[in-house]
Amino acid sequence: MSTTQSYKPLLNIVSSHNSKAIVKKVAIRLIIGVFLLFLLFPIYWMIVTSFKTNLEIYKIPPQWIPLQPTLDNYLGVFVDNNFLIYFMNNLYVSVGTTILTSFAAVFAGYSLSRYRSRLGNVVNTGLLSTQMFPVVGILLALYMIFRDLHLINTRMALVISLSAVTIPFSTLLIKGFFDDIPKSMEEAAKIDGCSRLGILYRIVIPLSKPGLLAIGVFTFMQSWNDYLFAITLIVTNSKRTLSAGISLRYLGEVSYDWAQVATVSVVGALPMFILIFIFQRYMIKGLTAGAVKG
Amino acid sequence: MNVITNKSKLYDKLFGLALLGPAVLIVGGFVFLPVFQSVLISFQDFKLARGTSSYPWIGLDNYKLLWEQGDLQHAFWITFSFMLMVVIIILVFSMILSLFFNQGKSSDRTMRSLILLSWGTPTVIVALLWSWMFQAQYGIINYVLLKLGLISESISFLAHPDTALGSVAVAAIWRQLPFMFLMLLSGLQGIPKEMYEAARIDGVNSVQSFFYITLPFLRNVIRASVLISIITSFKQFPLFWVMTGGGPMRSTETLAILTYRNAFVNMNFGIGAAVATSWLAALVLFSIIYNRVFKEASY
Repeated sequence: MSTTQSYKPLLNIVSSHNSKAIVKKVAIRLIIGVFLLFLLFPIYWMIVTSFKTNLEIYKIPPQWIPLQPTLDNYLGVFVDNNFLIYFMNNLYVSVGTTILTSFAAVFAGYSLSRYRSRLGNVVNTGLLSTQMFPVVGILLALYMIFRDLHLINTRMALVISLSAVTIPFSTLLIKGFFDDIPKSMEEAAKIDGCSRLGILYRIVIPLSKPGLLAIGVFTFMQSWNDYLFAITLIVTNSKRTLSAGISLRYLGEVSYDWAQVATVSVVGALPMFILIFIFQRYMIKGLTAGAVKG
Repeated sequence: MNVITNKSKLYDKLFGLALLGPAVLIVGGFVFLPVFQSVLISFQDFKLARGTSSYPWIGLDNYKLLWEQGDLQHAFWITFSFMLMVVIIILVFSMILSLFFNQGKSSDRTMRSLILLSWGTPTVIVALLWSWMFQAQYGIINYVLLKLGLISESISFLAHPDTALGSVAVAAIWRQLPFMFLMLLSGLQGIPKEMYEAARIDGVNSVQSFFYITLPFLRNVIRASVLISIITSFKQFPLFWVMTGGGPMRSTETLAILTYRNAFVNMNFGIGAAVATSWLAALVLFSIIYNRVFKEASY
């Protein structure tokens, strides 16, 4: 906070109330500490719970740190074939969606950035407005469309519907990146005999790698998180994805086996945690260039 | 020469259109088309139980029924209060957090990633996690509140009409806060540092520089991120469905839950579509007003 840094020397000069500055500093740290506790404790608690036996979970007072951590819950989750099925299906759908969305978004974003036309403006407004459409409201109609296409109960249906909801944001974000690339570079390549698609692949895409990473990560996260499409378009257990599978299986049948639920949660959230740690920098960059400007 | 440039211009135009193709096709076919169909369904007596393939047009009857039963107004009110709680709290919290973490120390990078974790947690898992923590007998929240003497007996937060909505809001705040934090942080990093230095030399204090430098610079970011949180809160479904299912006594029956319950539990798609359409209309109207108000404020 550059603002906090700025008042400290000022206070030192203006008054000798050094203690006031210290009190202020401590107060700020305290507030931040409470926020961090709120944000991080649940994750800690989820992880800790997954290492406890069901007996320890129901102890009062609760064990803040597991005294005898057990891996039994993890073994149970991996022995249970269902969880692996959900996990792999989720991976399949998320990777598929990320690929489809990235291609469609790069093409559309480039077109909107370079070939401005009246139709382009309409598309731009259309994409923006989709952000407001409630997914719950279109589920039935979507179900009927996929039924007519004979795609009900396929992972392809999930890939298509998730792409449909992730393409707008990704397109607008990557367009922001393309807008920043000077046109002169492309014109030079054109004179050198580079084709239109060649310009996109050899010049524009390499220059907007952070943007590509950003839309890739955002799309993957949103697909990984899907629940509504999966509970509507998927009927059989073998095609089910993570969120739908967890909510149906671990709440219905095992009925509040919290140790198991916590373990499933940790494994289900882990890929996202890894993504965040690796790509955090690009996510901030991506938002700076794209969403923030728009 | 003229012919060639004209031809090349035409090619440019066609190429530009072709690039739009995949996105327009997918978004058009699987977002706009179903939205259009839902609006049509909302004017039909569309019940699965009828078992026919054609459904009679009944004009505004679905809307009338919803309005007379008071379901729509109730759900609007619940959704609105939920949205207001969530958005105001995350705006204030994430503003404070982002100001603090904009100091640019390298050790902050790990901290920033840690803050983002809750946003990466899948919503259904968030719902399960908070259900577990809010649990009446063994939940950690009840334990801590009892120990601190803030409550005298344990509360079943999710099973009580007075506390259920607030409890779901806590989970929603937990999940959505990092996104706003990320947006504000990236906005803050776009403010030139010299601005603050110049202001400091001129004797401007930190509160003044926040109001006269930081906020004006962040205007667009705040506008965009607040709108996104408003829409996200309005659309929230998995948290409610998993944590409360709309209960107890309909105290958490939001528009999303009302839509889903009518369409997929009661199998009355006409009513479900009518809820969704009214809600969509409200959101569109709201964003138009919202953007206009904010734009005018800049002059």
